[in-house]
Amino acid sequence: MNCEQFEAIGLDVDRESASGIDINEHAAAIEHANTCARCAALQESWREARVELRALRDATSDVGAPLRVEMRLRQEFFARNRALKFRRFALASAWLLASAAMLLIGMNWWNWHIDNENLSLVGDKAPVKANPNDTASATNVTPNPAVAAVDNYPNEPANESTLIAANDAEDFTLLPGSMAQEIGDGSVVRVRMQRGALGDLGLPVNEERANEWIQVDLFVGQDGQPQAVRLPQAQ
Amino acid sequence: MKEERFGLPTQGTVAPGDKRISEDIRDDVLLRQAAKGDEDAFTTLYRRHQAAIYRFALRMTGNAWASEEIVQDVFMTLMREPKKYDPERGALAAYLYGIARNRVMKHLERLPREVRLDDQNESAVHAVAGLTNVVTPMHWAERQERMEQVRAAVLDLPSEFREAVVLCELEELSYEEASQRIGCPIGTIRSRLHRGRALLLAKLEMLRDVPRRFSAAR
Repeated sequence: MNCEQFEAIGLDVDRESASGIDINEHAAAIEHANTCARCAALQESWREARVELRALRDATSDVGAPLRVEMRLRQEFFARNRALKFRRFALASAWLLASAAMLLIGMNWWNWHIDNENLSLVGDKAPVKANPNDTASATNVTPNPAVAAVDNYPNEPANESTLIAANDAEDFTLLPGSMAQEIGDGSVVRVRMQRGALGDLGLPVNEERANEWIQVDLFVGQDGQPQAVRLPQAQ
Repeated sequence: MKEERFGLPTQGTVAPGDKRISEDIRDDVLLRQAAKGDEDAFTTLYRRHQAAIYRFALRMTGNAWASEEIVQDVFMTLMREPKKYDPERGALAAYLYGIARNRVMKHLERLPREVRLDDQNESAVHAVAGLTNVVTPMHWAERQERMEQVRAAVLDLPSEFREAVVLCELEELSYEEASQRIGCPIGTIRSRLHRGRALLLAKLEMLRDVPRRFSAAR
């Protein structure tokens, strides 16, 4: 080992913590220090400096930051935490309010939707009031346009135009030989029959259309005999 | 509570009325608790690491006020951004040391080299005044003077050499530990330490009027 190499690693010889020099280098450095006066003096000088460095280290080994630093930090931590809590609370409240508002809006919309549906359903199913002006034509067993529609398409499903029996005495045509009576004394029965069957009830029938199926409302008296007939109106 | 000496409190100072958290709890667990607002967890973390950071800052800057600010900065950063610490990347101590190192370097860059740091009221030289085994006032004064020379010589080193000397000679870290802290290869540490020692010896020998033996220019 020469002096230059000794300068590079020789001062680590006394190190307690790992310095990375191996045993051979360590031995060589000690051997060189024993033979070279300059390097020995350098090593001695470093040892002295090291003692002073250790004294400096020992003197400052138990110092720590003053208590005021901890106090300041804790104060800051407290303030930040409080602000954070407040922010979280405000955020949670805002979300809660927004959720409640959305829920309320949703419920209102749902109610409105249901009401609307019911209204439209009721509107769809609402019976059409019989037009008093049609009484005369009904009396003559001349179907009104709505009934004619039924008459023209008797085999069609009834969902396109629903026939509803109105529970009143309007538009009924008395069957021959029947006495006029209040509707409360009998009941209205809706039946499906061939047009020709009207002839059996004493009503005039067009023979060409005698096989057509039609729906009629029969006013059945208390004796069970039909008293009057009515062609129901299509909706 | 130990008495403060010359404005520099000793390690382990405890504020009155503090709750104690078990020392066994890991740093990352404490940090998670602190992030959720647990003040005791934060205080425990602070007390666990503040002294090492303060000592490093003090040895690097030689200024108690600056060291105090650096410690405060480090823990403020931890308080503000606890999620920046990733336990998988290393120990919290190393992370805090990294922040402290950045702050120290910034502080040293800000300060002109000519300013004598020990002119401050609470300089480090006063911190070492509480020496034991002092035989006579003269002996005390000599020792103080020597210590001051060493301290001045250390503080006069360029920051990268000073850091190597502080870590390897004062903190007594191994080269490997020092390289991990600084984040450079071991060879760099060795080289910086070699230069640092050379400059330190040269300064000390110059101060004591001893002929130079070390080729510091290497």
